[in-house]
Amino acid sequence: MTENWQLHVDAGQENDPVFVGVGEIPTGKFPDRSFIEGLTSVAVMALRDAGMVPRDIDTILLIPCLHSGADQADLVFSRMAEELGIHGSCKSSFMVHSGGSTSDNAVRAAHGLIATGHAKNVLVLQCERWGSADLNEMITMLSKNGIPGEWELPTGIQFNAIGAMIMRRYMHASGSTAEELASVCVTLRKWANLNENAMFYTKPLTVEQILASRMVADPLHSFECPPMADGACAFVMTSAGVAKKRGISSGVRVAGSGGCVSHYCLSQESDQAVLGWPLAAERAWNQSGWGPKDADIGEIYDSYAAVTAIALEGIGVAEKGEGARWFAAGHGDPGGKLPMNTNGGLLSAGHTGVGGGTALLVEGIRQLLHRAPAKRQVEGCERAIIGGTGGSYMDAQILLLERTKLGA
Amino acid sequence: MKTPVIVSDFRAGLAGGDLLIQNCHDCGKPNMWPRYACPHCQSDNLGWVKSSGKAVLHSFCVLRQGAPEGFEGDLPYAIGVVKLPEGVQLLVRLEATGENDWSAYGCDDEVEFVAVDPGEIERRPCATFRRVG
Ligand SMILES: [Zn+2]
Repeated sequence: MTENWQLHVDAGQENDPVFVGVGEIPTGKFPDRSFIEGLTSVAVMALRDAGMVPRDIDTILLIPCLHSGADQADLVFSRMAEELGIHGSCKSSFMVHSGGSTSDNAVRAAHGLIATGHAKNVLVLQCERWGSADLNEMITMLSKNGIPGEWELPTGIQFNAIGAMIMRRYMHASGSTAEELASVCVTLRKWANLNENAMFYTKPLTVEQILASRMVADPLHSFECPPMADGACAFVMTSAGVAKKRGISSGVRVAGSGGCVSHYCLSQESDQAVLGWPLAAERAWNQSGWGPKDADIGEIYDSYAAVTAIALEGIGVAEKGEGARWFAAGHGDPGGKLPMNTNGGLLSAGHTGVGGGTALLVEGIRQLLHRAPAKRQVEGCERAIIGGTGGSYMDAQILLLERTKLGA
Repeated sequence: MKTPVIVSDFRAGLAGGDLLIQNCHDCGKPNMWPRYACPHCQSDNLGWVKSSGKAVLHSFCVLRQGAPEGFEGDLPYAIGVVKLPEGVQLLVRLEATGENDWSAYGCDDEVEFVAVDPGEIERRPCATFRRVG
């Protein structure tokens, strides 16, 4: 171990931050569902799940939306405090943003605010309307995110090209086949078929269908690209002390976290088949006191199959080079040895921009609270690996979450 | 905004048929992409050296649809990340080996810088590489 970097809050402490509620509305194409309507719905759901009302919230953290600058400005400028009727009492409302890894960083921000006493009860809100936005506008916008305009825009790079380059390098380094990569998408679809909120809840998917779909950016097929979706979710965090006083008997705590910002643009990544996961994992496992074999579920960012396979290897769930074959063997399936992305992930529940990672996090919390619908609730779920990454896979972020008894 | 000098110098190199790598006059290390201060020693005493043009292809893809605005007419096209022996890496276009054919390329292949017409650099100021052999 190269460093000893520990959290300053432990299980059992009054100021230990805990997740106590989640909310989510269906992901897919909902052109008639307004942005503020989505945010309000998930806020009310998460608060009810936590046994709270808006007045209990002192701090709102906003996950950004990418579909509209005006809507994002509404988030930044505290519209939700007013919509929920807590203007005048709410202490602080602000945005956290690191693209796809935002939810991991939002948890760190909330965790720090609660543990130090800056915040008591934090509401984290996310809503996106990617599925209803103009596709060409979104493609052009995504050819500018995580790409240095002056150096790389002239090549004609865009997001599927980034995913395809990582996929090709991963296939070269691991010897994984197209079938094995496609099997990652199939595992995710099996989970989506158990999630009524998933975009592809009613649609099965096979390896054959994926390989027969058109080539978008060799070696990436169209059925391996994340479907842009509308969606919203929310969660509530408080301290163990406050939760106990409110009569809450169990919550979810942060056992540890680790991260690594490995590059800004993909061209500056030293190994596209590794990314920042090994260092992020070393840091996270060092803090948690438990290891990959102790986890009951994984909820790891999956905007492309190779990205998740690489993450699994870096995190230590799969052996080096075996991430895609780990999926092909069914280990991440319902009933597999480590259920993976149990909401269907970005690839099958829907890619809600920055919200895709938030939806995975919310699913992890929901599983640990034992509040997932029976057909996909993982029995005895005590520990979860949450993984996120933003931009052009610029960072690897890991949260290790565990169910905790709060007395009562 | 006026194009920053590090950008116009780099593009002038490409138009003249050279791939330039930023070089720090103080610590002697190469920087790519070019920076405003040397990431190694924070010096702003920066200049250029001509690259050998040799590289290894780390990865690449062939984009067939979903081009960003203004690139629709280029489809299909291949882009890749190359690693130079000088110790830097960059994103480039890859020359087809036949008509719209990049099937001969593979990861870790040897590739080399190829000068393209200055008019093309004006339109798309980026480096192009091709397969060796
Ligand atoms: Zn220097």
